[in-house]
Amino acid sequence: MPHFRRFLLTTAAALVTAGGAFAQDRPDLVIAVDNLWPTMDPVIGISTSGARVHSNIFDTLVRRNRWEDPDGTELVPWLAESWERLSPNVWQINLREGVPFHDGHIMDAEDVAFSMSAERLWGDEPLAPRGTRYARGIIRVKATGPLTVEVETSYPDPNFIYRLVTPLGFVLPAHYYQEVGTDAFGQMPMGTGPYRMVSFDPSVSVVAEAFDDYWGGDVPADSLTFQIVPEFSTRFAGLVAGEFDVVVSVPADQIGQVEGTPGVTVMTKSIENYPMFAFNMLETEDLPDNPLTDVNLRQAMVAAIDRVSITDAIWGGATFVPAPFNFPEYGAYYDPDRQPRITYDPDRARELLAASDYAGEELSWHIVRGFYPNYEIAAEFMVEQWREVGINVAIEIKDNFSLAYERPFHLLNMSMSSEFSGDPYRPLWMDWGPESSRVRAAHRTWEASERFYELGEAFEQAQEFEERNAAYLALVEEWENLTPGMYLWRNVVSYAVDADLDWDPGNSAVTIFDSLYMGGGE
Amino acid sequence: MTGYILSRVLRAIITLLITVSLVFIFIRFSGDPAAALAPPDAPQEVIDQYARAMGLDQPLWQQYTSYIGGLFRGEFGYSIHTGRPVEALFFDRLPYTLHLGLTALSIALVLGIALGAIAAINRGRLLDRAVMGFSVFAFAMPNFLFGLCLILIGALVFQVFLAGAGANVLFPALTLGLAAMGSFARFARSSLLETINAPFMRAAEARGIPFARRLILHAAPNAAIPLVTLVGLSLGALIAGSVVTEQVFAWPGVGQLLVRSVATRDIATVQFLVLAVAFTMIMANLIVDLLYLVIDPRIRVK
Repeated sequence: MPHFRRFLLTTAAALVTAGGAFAQDRPDLVIAVDNLWPTMDPVIGISTSGARVHSNIFDTLVRRNRWEDPDGTELVPWLAESWERLSPNVWQINLREGVPFHDGHIMDAEDVAFSMSAERLWGDEPLAPRGTRYARGIIRVKATGPLTVEVETSYPDPNFIYRLVTPLGFVLPAHYYQEVGTDAFGQMPMGTGPYRMVSFDPSVSVVAEAFDDYWGGDVPADSLTFQIVPEFSTRFAGLVAGEFDVVVSVPADQIGQVEGTPGVTVMTKSIENYPMFAFNMLETEDLPDNPLTDVNLRQAMVAAIDRVSITDAIWGGATFVPAPFNFPEYGAYYDPDRQPRITYDPDRARELLAASDYAGEELSWHIVRGFYPNYEIAAEFMVEQWREVGINVAIEIKDNFSLAYERPFHLLNMSMSSEFSGDPYRPLWMDWGPESSRVRAAHRTWEASERFYELGEAFEQAQEFEERNAAYLALVEEWENLTPGMYLWRNVVSYAVDADLDWDPGNSAVTIFDSLYMGGGE
Repeated sequence: MTGYILSRVLRAIITLLITVSLVFIFIRFSGDPAAALAPPDAPQEVIDQYARAMGLDQPLWQQYTSYIGGLFRGEFGYSIHTGRPVEALFFDRLPYTLHLGLTALSIALVLGIALGAIAAINRGRLLDRAVMGFSVFAFAMPNFLFGLCLILIGALVFQVFLAGAGANVLFPALTLGLAAMGSFARFARSSLLETINAPFMRAAEARGIPFARRLILHAAPNAAIPLVTLVGLSLGALIAGSVVTEQVFAWPGVGQLLVRSVATRDIATVQFLVLAVAFTMIMANLIVDLLYLVIDPRIRVK
């Protein structure tokens, strides 16, 4: 008996030691960020700075597989184990069983129904109004069983499941959210993710520790700290000194220098966002004789710009100029051979200009300072290229979007996100269609043609790929005929990383430090 | 004397009121705070909901009277993002800023006066020129550049990270206090030289009082009068100037909170922080004015 007892004690001690060794082996990761969004509610805090944190604390119902394919074209069941389309407008989501929140409470259909509810996201005065664009068309969310939820949309949406990879798909604990309220939840959030929030000070840092009951398996780091270090030079110094493991937002002009630092790796990732500008095509009280109502002038302005050379000069091959709405993340809808209808051709630009009524008026271009990396530099090149063909554009730098939106302006900076729809529905129809801010907001810039609306409705109704692809191409052709804007490039984010850290986020501004994204996704 | 004190206090109150009003107006004309909370392509309904939540749908005069009324009741408002009272956010960060600012002031005072005294005693010699050359450098060097140089040298040469909340306060304090140190050194030198050559100092020398005693007990108190003004102005500048140093060193003080609040259009927090900085500067000046009564008998007589 004493021998058996000694055996048990020895075994127990060995297990404890082994467990301790495992815990001790895990690194404490520190990510130096330029800022943090003031709330960590994953919808109210929708932002690049928020997205770096959210997926470590929360899980979405569905995930995109970026650990094997950087563009994440494959959907992976996550908190949702499966889904089915019960009717053209109704989807059923079947949830994974036994998934614990950080307080031990087990996730169920009521949590999902609350997370996607009218009260929270899409009612008259929702708790998190920033979620409305993801919840477009949802008219009913109901828990129909302990682990089943039905979602009904007002129109048939064949790509509804793609929305569940976005902030719409984050599952929050209804009991905790309702107990503490929206503000307090945003300051000490709780989810089912691999890390549990320990502390959050919006002007200092987020600290989270490994959640060892994580349903998704081992958590590779003992803790995660997202620390605000506003200056890049200071972030870089912290990386070199071994204080930080990951540093975000390496300025484009310093990438070469940082790459040459021993022990540091630089990752540049093109992400699903496309900086561009919109032509203001409207004649309003403050802009009664707007020359941009003439499509010849708009097309001349596009033909005058050598976007490929500008993009190569600025980004050095880190990104590319897309044909309108032709994005690699759209799988079968992506055609690598499709070219923009209007390409760089200064002679054609002069012809189009001659055909227009443009008489050399100054066109003002509102640009928000520093919002899109390298945008201002590109704008300066473009202004010179326009000048060469006889078009006079003046850049007006604004401190924020609400100032940029103040009329009058002729060109307005913006970007188009390609996330969540699985096909070009969002950037093409939601962002340019009759319900879009391009048409409805105070800073609207166009009224599309009847034909554009007809083609858009056909695109919206099309359910099967062949029909939908044809409708998409017809709609793009009409968009290019009208030329309401011009794409620049696919946006780029960059990270400087400790060379010993085996981590790759894929082509995304979302950073996840779970076992799929660390250690080569094994 | 009572009139002197009352006039200074009244001037301080009026200055505060003007500052508060200007901040209130400027922050509302530098872009719609409600639009800043919504994504760039948010529908108007979303922006309107934020505006209602922040009370920005009310007429401007109503927002202003409500804000000023709140100030008199000690209600400074709540952060739009965190829902916490803005004064609580401020007091969370204040210890860091005070730690940094007071360390910087101490470094600037001790080193500045010591250098000024050394220069004055060695007037016209190489040491004097070297000290004054250094003080010009210290005053002219932009503190963000000096701070970045310190941080990069620390990391690239010594593999030590000198920034962040856990770092030693010495380096950000040196950065923040550098310019003040330069000013103190120059003022201390000229003030001491003026005093050393005054008739009462020659009389003290004639009475056989030792040099060190003459310097410390006779010259220093008189030379301190212009320095008190400078210290008062510097105290305010150290707190306002800590914005840049805190950004460079990622020091989690009031300055960093102010920058974050401006960037996220957290108007109640911005208004309170500017009020607090203005209050500090005004109080520093008020205390300097009142200190004159103590250290300069001529003002008491007037």
